[in-house]
Amino acid sequence: MLRFLLTRLAVTVPTLLGMSFVAFAIVALAPGDPVQMELRAMGIVPKPEDIAAIKAAYGLDKPFFIRYAHWLARALQFDFGTSVATGRSVIAEIGHHMPATLMLSLVSLVGAVGISLALGTLAVMADRFTANCVRALSIVLVSVPPFWLALLFIHVFVLNLGWSRLVGDGSAIDLILPALTLSIGAGAAMGRFVYERVRAEACEDYVRLAIAKGVSPFGILLGHIGPRIIGSMTTVWANTLGWLLGGAVIVESIFSWPGLGQLILQAISQRDFPIIQGYLVLMGLVFFVTSFLADIVLVLADPQLRRGLADE
Amino acid sequence: MTFGIFLLFGFAILALAGGTSNLPPPEKMDLLSRLAGPSERHLLGTDHLGRDLLSRLLAAIPVSLGAALKTMAAILAIALPWGLISGLAGGRTDMVMMRLADIVMAFPTLVLALAVIGFMGASLEASIIGVAVAWWPSNARLIRALVLSANERDFVKASYLAGASRRRVIFRHVLPQILPPLAVIVSLETASVLLALSSLSFLGIGAQPPMPEWGAMLNEARPFFAHAPHMLIAPGLAVVCAVLAFNLVGEGLRDLLDKRRPYQW
Repeated sequence: MLRFLLTRLAVTVPTLLGMSFVAFAIVALAPGDPVQMELRAMGIVPKPEDIAAIKAAYGLDKPFFIRYAHWLARALQFDFGTSVATGRSVIAEIGHHMPATLMLSLVSLVGAVGISLALGTLAVMADRFTANCVRALSIVLVSVPPFWLALLFIHVFVLNLGWSRLVGDGSAIDLILPALTLSIGAGAAMGRFVYERVRAEACEDYVRLAIAKGVSPFGILLGHIGPRIIGSMTTVWANTLGWLLGGAVIVESIFSWPGLGQLILQAISQRDFPIIQGYLVLMGLVFFVTSFLADIVLVLADPQLRRGLADE
Repeated sequence: MTFGIFLLFGFAILALAGGTSNLPPPEKMDLLSRLAGPSERHLLGTDHLGRDLLSRLLAAIPVSLGAALKTMAAILAIALPWGLISGLAGGRTDMVMMRLADIVMAFPTLVLALAVIGFMGASLEASIIGVAVAWWPSNARLIRALVLSANERDFVKASYLAGASRRRVIFRHVLPQILPPLAVIVSLETASVLLALSSLSFLGIGAQPPMPEWGAMLNEARPFFAHAPHMLIAPGLAVVCAVLAFNLVGEGLRDLLDKRRPYQW
């Protein structure tokens, strides 16, 4: 088991290196010279020799790969420099807002999983008419943009019914509406996947055998089909979490939830590159860890692969 | 699916009609009738600058749908050759190409799109590039899977054995096989790309005002939505219908192609 985990971890090293390279190169490829831009933002018209001096001071005159190595060495210590806009360190800014975004994404994921299992199994198990209604409903829910749903929710629940408030303090009650907004779209999308997978399994011979044995439809779903699809479901859950991490930006700005959304939108409008880079790396890392865990679950959920592990 | 095709045709006709109708031009401001509700003169009302909403809504069709189609074209331009080469070449080429795709896929898609837009500066072009950069690897992977299974068929092997050139096999035997499932993917992906682009415009980092675009229109409507809810309804419904159309066509195609029947009690 330990050996399995270690080999899996070793395989991820090139991917992690590649990710860090993408995050570094994307800044280098961005249009505009950062030194000139920063000086101009401070209202200074720079002379060429000043620019050269500043570049030397920041190590920007060095070749690309040496700069990458330096950057990587600092990134490994979670040092992404300081925000151009506020002057505070990037990791402090992001660390301050990250828990709220992670919380929102995780709660939405739980909601989305619940919705998807309900919609997916209903679409397979129910009679034809209900099933078609459920499928139609899922397609409509997938098509509704989360930001518009959020605005509708605010209109109905905050302005008309007064059940909730718009300016919150980040407590659990303020989490309900944004989480609901995110989980409906994600849940409907995953529900389609659950439907696909269950339907595909229901075409297999072992289901036919179970029916012939007289196992109840629910028993087949839980005892036969469930274990077969749990592995691929965890992969989908991990992917959905990735979507939610990004989608959180959309609803956070509407519900003024104190997550990373506001920070990153500000950073984009102020062209605050260190913040954007740190955001990309850390979100990538969170998503990477969840995908890795899902990968392990995928192996553990499969009896054949698991037996292979025990034999090693 | 019929409804989806009907919706798409509806959008095409409305886009053409918008250019020829006698509605006020989408940029024309009428500051005396700002935030007016639906009336005879302005069928869907006006926005905070007194611009006619119906006219802006129609003018936004080519912008919003065009952006989604351009993005999808860009995604396919990368993903199709990538998936084809990777699937057909096999071996080390395949491994390296898929590894590269995996690296891009290791970032959450919207986060990567946001970062690309952040470095390029907010504009509609930047959001198109950002979404394309973040979306292509998953499509390349799907196409590779399709190519692999298409390449396994006996008649493909037979035509190799019969001495057909590589190009002939690809264009005559492999591509025609993957086109139907690819149509499903393209349709469903266009729906998700459209959603992403309108979300980015809504956040103010996609299409910039005064360009008429559904997401951007909704963003402009935000400060006024307590007094003028009509500004929210129409553009929102437009996005929903457009995304729905692509989703319905995709799902419909998939049902048509699916020959399996599940065993039932």
